[in-house]
Amino acid sequence: MFKKGMKRENVLLLFILPAFVFYTLFVIAPAASSIWLGFTSWDGITSASMKFIGLDNYRNIFTSARFYSAAKNTLIIAASFTLLVNVVALTLAIVVDNIRVGKNIVRSAFYIPVLISGIIAGFIWTIMYNTSFGIINGLLASLHLEALQQDFLGRMPNALMSIIVVLIWQISGYYMVIYLAALQGIPQELNEAAAIDGASHWQRFRNITVPLLAGAFTVNLTLALITGLKVFDQIAIMTDGGPGFATETITYMVYKVGFGEMRQGLGTALAMTLFVIIMILGVAQTTILRKREVQL
Amino acid sequence: MTRTEANPTHAADAAASMAAARRKKNLLSWGLTLLIFVVALIFVSPIWFSLISALKTNGEIMRDPTAMPSSLYFGNFVTLWNKTRFPAAVLNSLFLTIVSEALIIFVVPMAAYAIERRGTRLTNVVYAYFIAGMMIPFQAYMIPLFKELKMFGIFGTYAGPIAIYIAGSVAFGTLLFTSFIKGIPREIEESASIDGCNQFSIFWRIVFPLLTPCTASMVILNGLGIWNDFLMPMLVLPSGRAKTINVEIYSFVGEMSSRWDIVFAGVICGIIPVLILFVALQKYFVKGITAGAAKG
Repeated sequence: MFKKGMKRENVLLLFILPAFVFYTLFVIAPAASSIWLGFTSWDGITSASMKFIGLDNYRNIFTSARFYSAAKNTLIIAASFTLLVNVVALTLAIVVDNIRVGKNIVRSAFYIPVLISGIIAGFIWTIMYNTSFGIINGLLASLHLEALQQDFLGRMPNALMSIIVVLIWQISGYYMVIYLAALQGIPQELNEAAAIDGASHWQRFRNITVPLLAGAFTVNLTLALITGLKVFDQIAIMTDGGPGFATETITYMVYKVGFGEMRQGLGTALAMTLFVIIMILGVAQTTILRKREVQL
Repeated sequence: MTRTEANPTHAADAAASMAAARRKKNLLSWGLTLLIFVVALIFVSPIWFSLISALKTNGEIMRDPTAMPSSLYFGNFVTLWNKTRFPAAVLNSLFLTIVSEALIIFVVPMAAYAIERRGTRLTNVVYAYFIAGMMIPFQAYMIPLFKELKMFGIFGTYAGPIAIYIAGSVAFGTLLFTSFIKGIPREIEESASIDGCNQFSIFWRIVFPLLTPCTASMVILNGLGIWNDFLMPMLVLPSGRAKTINVEIYSFVGEMSSRWDIVFAGVICGIIPVLILFVALQKYFVKGITAGAAKG
C-alpha cells in the first residue's frame, strides 16, 4: 500500500516535468543570462566580443539622450493609454449594460478590433492616416474642416498621439468585456434597495457600482499599464520609431539596438532596465489598487 | 405601498408621475441604444474599410478610399496567392498555431493537475516559480534566447518558435488550470484509482474531459496570441523564405509600398479565420477573458 502510494506521487511529479523543462529552458534560463549579458559588450555574432565591461552598458544608457526620449515616450504612451482605454472601456460597458436591444451584437462589434493583430491594426490606420489619400483627412475635407487636416504620422507630437488612438481603438473591447462581466455580477437587489431608500442614479453609481468594480479596476489598470509599457507592433509598422527616434519606445529601442545595430550587450542591458521599470510600476500600482478593493 | 392603497388620490398621482418617469427613462434608454450603435459602427468601420479596399484596384483606393468597389474584383487575392509567398505564410501561421496549441494542451493542464492535487511544499514552490513568469516580458529574455536556439541547433526551424510558445504559456496556463481543477471533486478520481486505473489514464480519461471549458478558453486566447504574434517569428524563422501572415504584411509594406490593394487582400486573409472562429465560439472568448482577469 505504502509502496503504491509513493509511486503515485512520483508519477504526479513526472506530470510537471515537461512544463518545467520548457519553462526553465526557454523563459528562465534566457532571462537569467540576460542579467550577465547586460554586463558584456556582445555583438550577437562573435563570441570574442563577449567581454565583461562592468556597468559600461548601463552608464551608456543613462547618459544617452536617445534613452531618455524613449523612456519619455514609453511613459507617455503607457500613462495615456492606461487612463484613456479604461475611461472608454468603462463608459462603453456601462452603456452596453443598460441598452434595450442588441447587447450581444454591440459587445461583439467593440470586441472585433481585439481579434486582429497589432501589425494589421497598425497597417489599416497607417493608410487611414495617409496625407495624400487617407480617409481621415478626406473626411475632414468633405466636412469643410480643412484647417483640421494633419500630417498624422510624419511629425511630433501627432505621431505619438496617432499611435495612442490606434491602441485605444484596438484594445478597448478587451477591457470592456471585463467591466461588463463585473457590472453584471453586481446583485440587482443592492441597487433596488438603494433606490427604495431614495438614492439617486449618481449616488448609486458612486456608492455601489464603483466600490464593487474595484476588482475589475485593479485588473484592468494593471493589464493596461503593462500592455502600454510593452507596445511594439503598432510602432514597428506605423512609424518604425520615427520620424528620427521621435516615437521610439524602450521596447522598440531594445529591438533596434539589439537586432538592427547588433549591439546585443547594450540591448540586453536596456531590456533589463525595462524589466525593472515594469516591475516597479506594476507592483506599486497593484499595491495601491488592492487596498481600495471591496469584497462582496 | 400600504400608504398609497389607503389614499386613492395619492395613488393615482404617484402612478401618473411614475409613468412619466418611466417614459423619460425609456426615451433616454432608446437614445443611448441608438448612440451606442453609431459608436459601434465607427469602431468596426476600419475593418469595413479594409474589406472594400481589398476588393478595389490600387487606383480606386487612391482616388476615393471611401467609395464602394465598382465591381466585385478579386484580382488582388489572385495576385496575392499566385505571385507572392503569402500562401506559404498562411500555412506557416496555421502550422505554428495548431501545433503549439496541441502541445500546450498536452503539457500545461497535466502539470497544473499534479501541482493542485499533490499540494506539497515542493509543488507549491513549483507553482510560485511558474507564476513568476507572468512578470517577465518577452523583451527581457529575447536576445539571449536566440543565442540559446543557435546553441541547441533549432534556430531557423519550426521547433524554435513552438518551444518558445509552450514555455511562454506555462505561467498563465498554470494559473488558469489550477484554479479550475480546485473546483473538481476528488472522489471521481479516487474511485477510478480503486478500480485500478493508472494516474495517466485517470487524468486523460476522467479529469481532462471535465476541464473542457477551461481548455477551450485557453486554446482560444493563447491561439489568438500566437496567430497574431509578430516580433518573435520575424526574428526566429529562417530568412529568405515566407514567415507568418503578420511578418509578410509587415514586409509587404516595405517592399510593395505602392501596392496597397495587395496588402489589404493579405489583411483580409489574416482577419477572416479569426472572425469566423469568433462568431462560432463567442462565449468561450468572453469566458476566457473574464476567467483570466479574475485569476490574474
